[in-house]
Amino acid sequence: MIISVEHLAKVFTKDRREITALEDFNLEVQEGEFVCLLGPSGCGKTTVLRIVAGLENKTSGTVMIHGKEVGSFRPRVGMVFQEFALFPWRSAKKNVEFGLEVKGVPESERTAISTKYLDLVGLRGFEVAYPKELSGGMKQRVAIARALANEPEVLLMDEPFGSLDAQTRNLMQRELLRIWSTARKTVLFVTHSVDEAVYLADRIVIMTARPGKVREIIDVPLERPRDRTSREFISIRSKVLAELDEEFDKARAKELTRE
Amino acid sequence: MEPVVKRLRGVVVAHWKEIVLGAVSLVVFISAWWALHVYYANQGSVYAEYLPSPKDVWSTLVGLFERPDPYIRVPFSEHISASLERIAFGFVLALALAVPAGLLMARFKASHAVGRPIVELFRPIPPLAWVPIAIIAFGSFLGPVAIVFLGIFFPVLFTVMLGARSVEPTLIDAARTLGASRFAVFEKVIFPYTVPYLMTGIKVGLGIGWMCIVAAEMVSAKGGGLGYFILTMSEFGAYEEMYAGMVMIGVLSVLTTGVAGIFENFVYRRMGMK
Repeated sequence: MIISVEHLAKVFTKDRREITALEDFNLEVQEGEFVCLLGPSGCGKTTVLRIVAGLENKTSGTVMIHGKEVGSFRPRVGMVFQEFALFPWRSAKKNVEFGLEVKGVPESERTAISTKYLDLVGLRGFEVAYPKELSGGMKQRVAIARALANEPEVLLMDEPFGSLDAQTRNLMQRELLRIWSTARKTVLFVTHSVDEAVYLADRIVIMTARPGKVREIIDVPLERPRDRTSREFISIRSKVLAELDEEFDKARAKELTRE
Repeated sequence: MEPVVKRLRGVVVAHWKEIVLGAVSLVVFISAWWALHVYYANQGSVYAEYLPSPKDVWSTLVGLFERPDPYIRVPFSEHISASLERIAFGFVLALALAVPAGLLMARFKASHAVGRPIVELFRPIPPLAWVPIAIIAFGSFLGPVAIVFLGIFFPVLFTVMLGARSVEPTLIDAARTLGASRFAVFEKVIFPYTVPYLMTGIKVGLGIGWMCIVAAEMVSAKGGGLGYFILTMSEFGAYEEMYAGMVMIGVLSVLTTGVAGIFENFVYRRMGMK
């Protein structure tokens, strides 16, 4: 078990009001698995990711990576953000090498590693390009290479294709699966797109509206590459969509009663 | 040399309208100055002496580089270098303290709590109010340096704080997941993010620096400097020299700002932001 989350709870305090973002959230992820977290907005899926990444403290429960409690150590994770989060003053190569640089890896080794991963994400020849010279899809490729160059145990992706146009998004999904099958990483992927989740995931974790917990886990036993128009794909898609719609309605109802 | 000439030509071609308008503006200003002088001279007014013609001021300025003025009898270049040295000292000192202070105050609540009362207390006091005590306490070299320091410190501190506060949080998150220590986050994320803000602070600070240095040098009668030169010339009624000193400050200020601009361009190019 590479990731194991048990009874995770997170309570935020905002304007002196306590907001329970997560409550009794449980999840186990196997080595090499591709898991999507899906849920209505505000259900705390990003919070799960940030806690696993060690970016945020949990309120209670346990989060372990390879049997070690997150918080007692800095987990070796790679994170990819929706906003790309590239350092604008660094070239593609230098962005990819950031983690190696802070670890003190010597320059020749850094170059070898960054070349390897820029190659893997299909950006050979763009080493010296700066983020502002790259398209959204290319920026996200750099961000993926940067996360992988650090040789993480887990790749955490927070709606990484959320700000891309539909075509680029589909292309990047295919590319991600190609990279995933080469790099053989465990991926925890947050999205609010049902289509994306069914296309990518081995398992889809559907979360409830706030406070977020696991509503249901749906297996996607389809061969890759998946055909979005196949009967099996569509049937899983409708099943996920039905569950999600229910949660979405609940979330809306809650929002309305609050006002 | 060839590419420099080419680049200059490119700049001229691209900005010829601005260049022409700028030149017209200067010509109109100098003509107005000249006309006023001629008007006073024709009336036989004493104001003609207080406002010498731009031509006389220019030839006096050129002459000052060949032989010292007849009153202080110190080469003009020594006044210039005295002022420049003080500015340089005050500037470096202000940067060395304001940059780390700004970064810390922007990113740590405790440093902000410690620094803020001092900053709020000292900020409204004009640097020039410190001139008398600074001269008494630090003498004619370090006194004006201290004034320049005070003048530059605050704009740099505030621009650095503004920059360090506006760092995108995801950049810091990304750095942390990539294994950056707290110090590495400062060094490799927060500081570079702040650089453009710092550049603005530097340019604003340099202008304030020139104002401070001249005023401070006017109080201290020793140690030379352009402020001292201007004040002394006016006391001797050497108005052409006095104006020449003023023009020199304008020229030097333009030059230092220009150097800051070139430095800024160089930094942005190195950082891939241009």
